[in-house]
Amino acid sequence: MTTADIHALTGAYAVDAVPGAERAAFERHLSECESCAQEVRELRETATRLALAAAEDPPPALKARVLDQIKTVRQESPSATVTPLRHRDRRAIALRLTSVAAAVLLAAAVALGVLVVRQNDELDQTRARAAEMSEILRAGDAQVLTVDKGKDGRMTVAMSRSENRMLLLTDDLPNPPEGKDLQVWTGHGGTMVSAGFLTPDNGDAVLEISGFGDADAIGVTLEPDGGSDSPTLPAVMEVPLPA
Amino acid sequence: MGERVRRVREARTEPANDVGAELMQRVARGDEPAFEKLYDLLVGPVFGLVRRIVRDPAQSEEVVQEVMVELWRSAARYSPERGSATTWAMTLAHRRAVDRVRSAQAATDRDETVGRRDIGRPFDEVAEQVTTRLEQEQVRRCLRTLTDLQRESVLLAYYGGRTYREVGELLGTPLGTIKTRLRDGLIRLRDCLGVA
Repeated sequence: MTTADIHALTGAYAVDAVPGAERAAFERHLSECESCAQEVRELRETATRLALAAAEDPPPALKARVLDQIKTVRQESPSATVTPLRHRDRRAIALRLTSVAAAVLLAAAVALGVLVVRQNDELDQTRARAAEMSEILRAGDAQVLTVDKGKDGRMTVAMSRSENRMLLLTDDLPNPPEGKDLQVWTGHGGTMVSAGFLTPDNGDAVLEISGFGDADAIGVTLEPDGGSDSPTLPAVMEVPLPA
Repeated sequence: MGERVRRVREARTEPANDVGAELMQRVARGDEPAFEKLYDLLVGPVFGLVRRIVRDPAQSEEVVQEVMVELWRSAARYSPERGSATTWAMTLAHRRAVDRVRSAQAATDRDETVGRRDIGRPFDEVAEQVTTRLEQEQVRRCLRTLTDLQRESVLLAYYGGRTYREVGELLGTPLGTIKTRLRDGLIRLRDCLGVA
């Protein structure tokens, strides 16, 4: 796609008319093109006027339901941000994280007293990444959780609440079908927040999640290409997180 | 508390439903009466927009409820530098409605002729709210300044929740043309409505 072509997508993007993979590509472009980002902001303000013109009175009972529900929903704090992977180059992250995966598997294996032998042709990088990983596992409250679903794969979570970081690893996870993405969610008292995507390479994938805050669960679901705003159940993998 | 809300509403410029950063800050701090004000200001356009896209009344209500609760939950993430709070809310509402229909679409392909037939008349019903009527008049006037292809593209994408590829198929127009018409149409609308 030429620059002029991709720039023309600001309008479609502002009204959610750009589908999955193309949207990810455009968001990469947006992060580097301030004038495009500004145009998207303006076109969204414009589209908002179409919404205001379409205003309709909702059923009155809806208000009581919403006001009741918010009493049970904890609010996010401004600092509790989940790494917004959707807005970054997922392929680049996947490549970068493959070496982290190796390090985590190794470190997790040591922590678990399990021997994991892994072919690794990126040993130097792995060593460098090991330091990153060890911060999590060295934390006083480090914990390692595993879920084994047999032929449906395994998931390992290494986490530290004091560091507010976790690494999620999968192995032997079946590849998502065409047009689907594996999306990761953290659960906060029943509310699910997207934490990014897994891009399996021969079933292995890894995702670093920082700032997961008060998450009490983590799960992986299959979503339409480009991801969803809320998870489609049942989950491919899920595990409650210790307090 | 009531006074501060009034001040926010009086300080508004246009559009009439403008929420204001101050109200958002109070909602972010867990102020339930402030959230109720936010609900009253936004639920009309959120409901109208979601219903146009989702159509099914029960599902529309579900999506609206999700959106309003999400506004409460993530109010602290709103930052005024990135646009008005009203737009933040409408962007979320549009996105949620579109997610709902696109995930349902695989199972039951929506009737495309319906989408096409509706776009000729963007506002059938006469709005009861004066502010909405004024907004409708202005938007209708500005929509008339667009070419037919620009207008149809914008309305199918926004009120219809269609991807630009679907818009291209519905209008029998090449994708490159649709992309530029969508952008040109929104830009013309922006300039006509005086959106900064």
